[in-house]
Amino acid sequence: MIEVEGLSRRYGDVVAVSDVSFNVQRGEVVGFLGPNGAGKTTTMRMITGFLPPSQGQVAVAGHDLEAAPLDARRAVGYLPETPPLYPEMRVSDYVRYVAALKDVPRSERSEKVEKALEACALADVSRKVIGRLSKGYRQRVGLAQAIVHEPEVLVLDEPTAGLDPQQINEIRRLISDLAEEEGRTVILSTHILPEVENICKRVLLISGGRIRLDGPLDEVRGTGTLEEVFLREASVG
Amino acid sequence: MSHVLAICGRELRSLFATPTAYVLLAFYLIFAGFVFTGSLRIFLEQVEQVQAIPQYAQYLELFANLNLRVIAPALGTFILLFIFVIPFLTMRAFSEERANGTIELLLTSPVSTWQIVLGKYLAVLCWVGIFVLAAAAFSGMLFVYGNPELGWTVAGHLGIFLLGAALAAMGCFISSLTRSPIIAGVIALIAGLLLFMLNFLAGAIENPALAAPIRYLALENHVDKSLSGLIRLQDLVYFGVLIVLFLTLARTALESLRWR
Repeated sequence: MIEVEGLSRRYGDVVAVSDVSFNVQRGEVVGFLGPNGAGKTTTMRMITGFLPPSQGQVAVAGHDLEAAPLDARRAVGYLPETPPLYPEMRVSDYVRYVAALKDVPRSERSEKVEKALEACALADVSRKVIGRLSKGYRQRVGLAQAIVHEPEVLVLDEPTAGLDPQQINEIRRLISDLAEEEGRTVILSTHILPEVENICKRVLLISGGRIRLDGPLDEVRGTGTLEEVFLREASVG
Repeated sequence: MSHVLAICGRELRSLFATPTAYVLLAFYLIFAGFVFTGSLRIFLEQVEQVQAIPQYAQYLELFANLNLRVIAPALGTFILLFIFVIPFLTMRAFSEERANGTIELLLTSPVSTWQIVLGKYLAVLCWVGIFVLAAAAFSGMLFVYGNPELGWTVAGHLGIFLLGAALAAMGCFISSLTRSPIIAGVIALIAGLLLFMLNFLAGAIENPALAAPIRYLALENHVDKSLSGLIRLQDLVYFGVLIVLFLTLARTALESLRWR
């Protein structure tokens, strides 16, 4: 579903991501771990087509990002680190607008918007103005816009940041459902370790712009707790 | 096309969800009302004065021309009005998307950069259209009480619409350069005033070979002929080139966000 090959990105002289390669299969939930500044967001931005790579290729759902950028972008739902919200809009209007941008046919729009709002437990605030919502609600609106067009691939940059434990649980359940029941492929970044242990079957650990570890959760954890692995590998970069 | 309309529609709805739109429209209508009633009052006073002198009677018809003495001067004032008002419409176009992070949503959607630019521009253009229509309502009232020439009147309104369209394109481009709407608005205002003042600059230059091109660039030199009822190809080209140039630059500026 996601094929990343020799991906590098430089900002001027700074190398943010260096020669990153990995594949993600359909229905997999991959945890993208790493300390702040490791290159998680940069890598995700390249997968979603926001940033062009300095080197390397990305293909999403079989569409090469350079050769067929619109098809590739259509197949991705993306929740950036800061949810891309318009504070003056109402929740349902906003999700509907995103649906239009993502090419959801007009006849299916109402139904899919409702479904996304339902899935993110937003039905009761759908007529509220986004700017007046709490941080947890806004994060969920961000998630709703990422899933509204039922993309094959979900790229979530710290999806549970700023949520309370109850909300974190709901989001985790939602992500698991999306992967298990609907076969969506999810890549999510986080530096909260228990999150990875709860929903991800596979871990990608990135540090200093390079992939340090890539494997099933159990295998990665084999050498100690995930925390130990994280601290050991993170310090390498 | 549906993307362009979706972006344009969101833009318009958002403007009406904030007080900006209403404040701007109220300010504009009050100002336009003053300008029109003012020119009309001066006109009527002068006509009365001419009527009072019997030997001028033969010139009365020539003098009492609504197009020449009411509509054209009123619309002429709109040049400066647009220079002040349009930056308020364009300042948020792209800078706010950049500040909110919503530009990331647009640039990762299956939407081309052109569609984003055109959607935003179309929304501002709707506003310019509303402004011109409001002015047309004032001119329209003159048709009830007098008989201005229709073609001349339409040409004048087309002239200020094109002027507004060019200022809008420039404002959109400037807005694509910064994350701060305030900075975008102030720079757009200054740029508009500079384009307006080029005529004074040209007037101060003695060398005609140097003054002519500067005069050509000045905004009002491409509006004044249409205010006198004449639509010239060279004016259409001037505004067309400005619009295409600034929208292309805006597109390039957005594309360059990807490379930072």
